[in-house]
Amino acid sequence: MTAPAAVRPSRGGRGVLAGDVALPARPSRLAVRALSAAVVVVVVLAFWSVDIQWGRLSDLPSEVVRYLGLMFAAPEWSKLPEALWQTWRSVAMAWLGTVLGILVATPLSLLAARGHGPAPVRGALRLLFAVIRAVPEIIIAIVILSVTGLTPLTGALALAVNGIGTLGKWGYEAIEGIGPGPVEAVRAAGGSGTQVLRWGVWPQVLPAFGSFWLYRFEINVRSSAVLGLIGVGGIGDMLTSYTQYREWSTVGVLLIVVVVVTVAIDAASGALRRRIMEGARARAVQP
Amino acid sequence: MSAPLTSAAPAGTPAGAAAPWPVRLRDVVVRYPNGVVALDGVSLDIAAGEMVAVVGLSGSGKSSLIRTLNGLVPVTSGTVEVGGHDVTAARGRALRALRGEVGMIFQGFNLAGRATVLQNVLVGRVAHAPAWRTLLGAHTAADTAVAAEALDRVGMLDRAWHRAAHLSGGQQQRVAIARALAQQPRAVLADEPVASLDPPTAHGVMADLRRINRDLGITVLVNLHLLDLAREYGTRLIGLRAGQVVYDGSAADASDRVFEDIYGRSIRPDDVLGT
Ligand SMILES: Nc1ncnc2c1ncn2[C@@H]1O[C@H](COP(=O)(O)OP(=O)(O)OP(=O)(O)O)[C@@H](O)[C@H]1O
Ligand SMILES: [Mg+2]
Repeated sequence: MTAPAAVRPSRGGRGVLAGDVALPARPSRLAVRALSAAVVVVVVLAFWSVDIQWGRLSDLPSEVVRYLGLMFAAPEWSKLPEALWQTWRSVAMAWLGTVLGILVATPLSLLAARGHGPAPVRGALRLLFAVIRAVPEIIIAIVILSVTGLTPLTGALALAVNGIGTLGKWGYEAIEGIGPGPVEAVRAAGGSGTQVLRWGVWPQVLPAFGSFWLYRFEINVRSSAVLGLIGVGGIGDMLTSYTQYREWSTVGVLLIVVVVVTVAIDAASGALRRRIMEGARARAVQP
Repeated sequence: MSAPLTSAAPAGTPAGAAAPWPVRLRDVVVRYPNGVVALDGVSLDIAAGEMVAVVGLSGSGKSSLIRTLNGLVPVTSGTVEVGGHDVTAARGRALRALRGEVGMIFQGFNLAGRATVLQNVLVGRVAHAPAWRTLLGAHTAADTAVAAEALDRVGMLDRAWHRAAHLSGGQQQRVAIARALAQQPRAVLADEPVASLDPPTAHGVMADLRRINRDLGITVLVNLHLLDLAREYGTRLIGLRAGQVVYDGSAADASDRVFEDIYGRSIRPDDVLGT
């Protein structure tokens, strides 16, 4: 599409716009270029270093079909009740881990937000969140294992610790993104730091926090199954055992249960999150 | 530091029963970290109970002036006193106590949209109630009564349980005025309180401010950029240009010529609100 002729800058100086306005010099885009180059290098290095054996790849489809047959041709439905019970234990583990994570992460994220916590504390907390996020749950669980043993509590604690890393980061980012107005209003009325957080910050971040909590619960439901691999109980534990015994027909049932439950929780939680965020937006849009 | 702050009037007495405060500035300079000098040697004496309109072009330093009065903007040099208390020297608890006596109203209302109207108005009690109460939202009956009376004064009592974000702009600004009133303030600062409202609503909000000044005797400083509003609602007019006071006199008598002097240019249609 071209602009209407009258709007185009006319070089002869006859039109409304004489076209003699020069844009200010464009800011340097060196950083963007350097970053793009770095991404390309990383991708190339990645392909090169994983040493892909392309030949093996051709066997994959037939193997997949064979195992699918073993698992789902005649699922061992008699194992369903136990599978459901173990799934329930996994979900409970996820739930407990989420709640514990929220309880610790929420005050920490308030302290870690720019403009609210003292600078040294802020730096230390951000580092802590980053370190926690860098360590996979399963490693955290193995460490905690030495204290609490092979129980679902270990799994819940591992999820909680890992949740502090993510919830803490999302939390302080959300707090730093809120409008300064209500915060300033509480400060102008003589509010202390805590009062500013309670009445200037909290009402603004609550929808976002609620959504983070649900999302973290979704993550924990998926992770709780994986944590079962190290034997802390739940559906993951059961899945490992039956895979080791090569009882594929039971493994099939377990996979069905895991997929159905995870998808159902994801969908329910996702719908709830959308409602929270859209509700918040719709309300904000109203005059 | 000057004399210690006495606490506000006992909760439950009519909003504004406390004696109003005068305001005094001496050679106030505000230089922001980026080097901009927003106030350049401002000295002013505002008597208790005055209604002052501060006018000036965008960037002339109106907001900076009003924000130095409650310490939201620190001064680079000079002194600011409200009610005889030195704002420039106050820190921490003392500064919060001072702010608790001075209400502030903003162009953008600055309400917590998801909180109820009543909760927003109770923010006006933060400096007067024990911290644990305000944190838990466990307000005393006396504080709630002050908030209710403040809402009643601006005609918003029936909206007490609505979410603030559900109100119109004019209604939100009324709630913000109620929040300031709930402080039982001795002075009220308003920074372009009607700049985002349509003309009839703007007059309604300005009339509310005038009533606060006339009925409760509270000192009111209001930043405006529309000359007809300044003339109609101010009793005293202060003109700022480039951080300096270039006019200080009666608002009603201020001719268009006066505004042209303050603005440093001729009056344009968008300098008046109209009706
Ligand atoms: N926080 C700040 N940091 C740096 N400079 C600032 C800051 N606030 C204001 N200024 C600058 O100080 C000058 C005065 O600003 P101020 O906001 O007081 O003007 P104003 O009269 O309220 O203008 P407006 O009518 O646009 O609100 C302006 O040049 C502005 O850019
Ligand atoms: Mg301003």
